[in-house]
Formats: sequence, structure tokens, C-alpha cells
Amino acid sequence: MTEAKIGVFICDCGGAMKNIDFPTIKGELDAIADVASVNLSSDLCLEEGRAKMLSCIKDENIDRVVVAACAPQLKEHVFQQVLRSAALNSYLMSMADIREQCSWAHEGDVTTKACGLIKMAIGRARLLQPVEQKDLLVKQEVLLVGGGFSAMSSAIQLSRLGLHTTLLVGDSALGVRSRELEELLGLEVAPMTEAIDRDKNIEIVTSAELVGMEGTAGNFAVRIRKGGEEFVQSFGAIIFATGPRTEILPQDPGSKSSTRIVSQERLARWLRASSPQPRPRSVAFVFDSSDECSRLPTLVTLNNALAVKRSWGSEVYVFCKNVKVDSEGAEELYHQARERGVVFLKFEDSPGISIEDGLVRIEAKDVLLGQDATLTCDVVVAEEKVSPAAGTDDLRSLLNVRTDSRGFLQDDNVHLYPVASERKGIFFVGDCRGDLDAARIVADVSSAVMGAHELLARGRITVEAERVKVDPQKCRACLTCIRVCPHSAIQLVRIDSEREVAEISDLACDACGICAGICPAKAIAFQGYSDEQILAQIEVLKAS
Amino acid sequence: MSREIIAFCCEHSATPAANLAGRLGLHYSENLRLIPVPCAGRVDVVHILKAFEKGAAAVLVLGCEDGACHHIEGNTRARERVRYSRTLLEEIGIDGRRVGMFNLAPDTPHKFLDIVNETNETLKELGGGK
Repeated sequence: MTEAKIGVFICDCGGAMKNIDFPTIKGELDAIADVASVNLSSDLCLEEGRAKMLSCIKDENIDRVVVAACAPQLKEHVFQQVLRSAALNSYLMSMADIREQCSWAHEGDVTTKACGLIKMAIGRARLLQPVEQKDLLVKQEVLLVGGGFSAMSSAIQLSRLGLHTTLLVGDSALGVRSRELEELLGLEVAPMTEAIDRDKNIEIVTSAELVGMEGTAGNFAVRIRKGGEEFVQSFGAIIFATGPRTEILPQDPGSKSSTRIVSQERLARWLRASSPQPRPRSVAFVFDSSDECSRLPTLVTLNNALAVKRSWGSEVYVFCKNVKVDSEGAEELYHQARERGVVFLKFEDSPGISIEDGLVRIEAKDVLLGQDATLTCDVVVAEEKVSPAAGTDDLRSLLNVRTDSRGFLQDDNVHLYPVASERKGIFFVGDCRGDLDAARIVADVSSAVMGAHELLARGRITVEAERVKVDPQKCRACLTCIRVCPHSAIQLVRIDSEREVAEISDLACDACGICAGICPAKAIAFQGYSDEQILAQIEVLKAS
Repeated sequence: MSREIIAFCCEHSATPAANLAGRLGLHYSENLRLIPVPCAGRVDVVHILKAFEKGAAAVLVLGCEDGACHHIEGNTRARERVRYSRTLLEEIGIDGRRVGMFNLAPDTPHKFLDIVNETNETLKELGGGK
């Protein structure tokens, strides 16, 4: 390798780093053999500074650039642009943060440290290699798994953005479950199904399920089973909207089938139908006796309690641990319920529910009164638990993604929040992520649609080619990297009749370097953060 | 042994926390040398050991909070490697407390300061540091 010609550009940020003695630093750096030019500036990120930097790179034939200025997060992209203007690969630059990490952070001798930091950056810059960009074709098709409210609204929005969408529905028709929940959650399903039926951009595959998936973002090969037959179709992105599952939790297992103990859904159907004879005189709701997450149960209970008051005029009691009113309008619903005479009883421990003389008896310890409260009423609407849809666990292992402690997809990782997953091109929206109300689902849908659109809109996507690369000569196919890659970006490929080696997908890779850190054969090179480039920065310690 | 502390800092958490500390004018000792890495999981045992070979007084690996790693489990992998490095160091007679793994969020510059100060306190006892 021929010796690098390093250009160092130091910026004092318009005099914001008065405690650094820049001429001393320049003197010291000038003495380094392969440093071709050291430039002091006070406005490097502004137009004039950039122009000077550009002409210096060109005039001196500089092929590695070191910028010592503010934090790279702020202006790195500006300086990368200068490199590109000079027909230099933008990866041939190393930055030293002498402002936030030096001048502004210390009271003592900052000049020596600043000089050390710049030398670290020079050490790294010396070893930098260009990383080319390339375009990959992506399939402009989105697969939506689910047939509920989230899936339908995602499909409608994607279609508006011009992306062809396939809805994979497990039921025999669209929106079966959503229709049942219409009143409970305040949804309107019919206009959506009609819009989808009219839309030529949306295809519906009913009574089908996803049974396999291979490939990476931009080109997932999805195996679909429908009516005993399987076929493979490719999609650029996949949005999962598999919804939740609600189950009634009877306190006494023996009383599950009782007509006196009903689910929220059954109560809603009951309210919708002609009024029962005789009307229940008293109705009690019990919720949140076993779970912290009570957003949906709260909303549904408040809606139903009000409906009971309106339609039947019964006495209504709500046994609750925690009324979670963080949904839009929930606080208002709660006040309405109280004004109309709904009695809220805050309990500790699980209440005992039993059938006595054809009536339901509830025993609970009231927190506010500090004593046991017993209530006998006609109907109890039992607690419902919101849990992930059936098959979520299989989906998790099929996709190689993680679930949260309750088994919902897309766990609460703030870096992926709200809908992205650890795999590029795969999104989770709506109640498969947890118990979300309608407003949150709408926000989810928009985020996922934006994500899919960003990936697929151009039909091609620009990626860094081989930034993280496996050396096929060194790879012993031990599968360690494939096992640890959090983004499922590594696959085994056959290179000849004898050997298979690991290969990293440029599109699926998120450049974390975990594979490079763990590879026992040191076969993975991560441009910009290779072992040599990291060690070169440590090397400077002794020298300084 | 020099007095330098080498800190491998995740670019999604510790590096922004350090930058925020600077921007807020929170001062810490200048013996800290920050090496940004895209994820704490990038840090290899070799990097930690090399730092000691070059005379570092202490090595820190700083990553995202548990359960909130940008790359899902890079921080837990880093913790494993730090633990392993510690056993290697102790084997050759270097106090294992000289290497540490810490988790912090990008908006916690005070925690960053605490970690640096704590390390310097430990170094007072062990020698080196500021």
C-alpha cells in the first residue's frame, strides 16, 4: 500500500475553544511524516471554510482526511459532502471531537488531549478504505398479514402511496373480528372493506396463512399455505397486524359456562339485540385482577358500563385495580360513568366470584374502606385478558425476532419504537404489539406505512457495498456470526462444491459489528471499525 | 502505566451522553480517551487487552441500557466479553476492577460523569488514573 497523504483540518468553531493552543498542535502535527497539510480554520462547516477545505484536498492531492472539530453527529455529513465534491470516497475521513469531548469537557490541560485525539484520528484515517455505494432492486410489493382494522387501514394507505399490497387473511373474509368489535372499540369497518374491494392495488388472499419466509428486506420469499396448497411469492416489505386475542378469565373455573358470568363481547351483543327479559337489575364489571396492562379493558369497560346505564338503567359496579385513562377520551368517559352513577370499587387481591341462588356473589377487599365488600348481582362481566394472537410464538421463531415479557411482538425497545423490528423491512402494527387503543393504532399504521414506503418507493435502494464483509478464505463456517446477528443479515452460501461460507446482506446489515467482534477466525472486516482501525487509536496512547 | 482511561463508547448511547456532557459544561478529568464504536458489541477482548498492553490505566465499555440496545443484544455480548477480559487480566496479575462495563442512555450525561469519576476513584486505590 502506498503511503497515505493525510490532510488535517482543525476548526476552532468561531473561537468557541479558547482553551486550546492551536498553533502548538499544528506544529506537532506538521512533524508527522504522512501528514501533508495541517489547516486551521474557524468556520470549517460554513461555505467559505468548506470551499477552502475542498481546494486544499484537490491542490495537495490529499487522500485521507482528518477533521478535528465538533461532535461528528453534528457536522460529519457536511464534511463527507466536501469529500464527495473532491471526488474522494466519503469513508476516507476520520473525525476528532475536540469540542464536546475536550475543550468544553475539561478544565485542565486540554491542548495535550486535543493533540492526542487528533493523533488517534490520524492513526485511524491512515487505515481507512473506501466503501462504495450500490443500488439494489427492491420488489414494490407489500404483504400485510392480518385482516383487521390495522391491516385494512395499512393497505388503504399503502395503496394511496402507489404500492401494491396483498392482504393475507386467516379468516374467510376481511374484517370478521373487527366487525364484532365495532361497537366495543368505536370502529367503522364497512367503509374500509368496501374501499378495499374497489381498490385494484389491493389483493386479498383469504383462509391462508404464512408458513415460511426467507430472504431479506426488498425481497422476502414468503411461503403461503391456502387450502392445502403452498406457494411462494416475493415481497419487498411485510407488515404484521395479527391482532390480539382476548380471553375471559373466570375467577372460579367452574363458573365459566354460566350465563350469569359473561364476556364483554357477549354483553355488547346482548345490548345490541332486543333487550333481555327481565332486564338485569345489577351488573358488575371486574377487570385488572391479574395484569398491569389495562388500557383496552378500561376503555371497553367504560363504554359498556355507560351502554348498560343507557339501555337498561341497571345498577352498575366496576371492580378495578387500576383505571388506566391514558387513551384519548378515556378520562371523559370515566367522568361520564361516575356522573351517571357507576360505582367504582378499588380492590386488592383477586375478588372471589361464585354463583349463589342463581345470582352472582362477588367478594373483594375494598382498598379505600379497608374492609371486605360483598356484592350480589344479576350479571358479572368477567375480566378479560388481552394476550398475543394464537401463533405469535411460531411467528417469532419463524422471523427470528423478539417478543416482550408478555409475548407481544416488537418488544419495548426504544430504539425500534414504535413499529420497526430488528429486521429491516418487517413491521408490527396494532394490537400484536400490546393492548393499543384506536388512536395509537392509527399512529402505528402511519409509521409502518412510511417505513415501507421509504424502503420501496424508488424501486431500488442505495446501500453501502461490503462495508461489513466476510473473508471467504478465513471463514470456517462455524455459524457463530449467523447465530449472533441481531438483524438476521448473515446467511451461509456455497462458494464451491466443497465449501460454504457466511455472507452478509448489504441491505439487511445494520452495521453494528457484533459479528466482527465475535468471529473466532477474525474473518469479518468492518470498514471504519476494523480491528486495525480501532487498535490504531489505542496505539497512540504510548506515543503521546 | 499511563494515567489514561480508554472508553469504548457506543454511538447510540454513551457517545451522545459524552457529547451532551460537554455541551452542558459538565467537567470531567481529561485522562479519558473516548473511542466511538457503532455498538458495544463491536468491542473485542483483543481491544481491551491491547489497551492495557499500551499502558491504559483502565478500560471502560459503555453501551445502551439493558433491554434498550439499538442492536438488541450488543450490550449483553459486550458484558460477557468484559467479564472474560477480567478473568484474563487477573490471571496475569492486573486487577480486574480496571476494566468495567456500564450501561447508560444517550440523554444521561450525569451518569457518564459518574462513571468517569467512579473509575478515577477506583484508580486512586489501584494506582494510575488522575
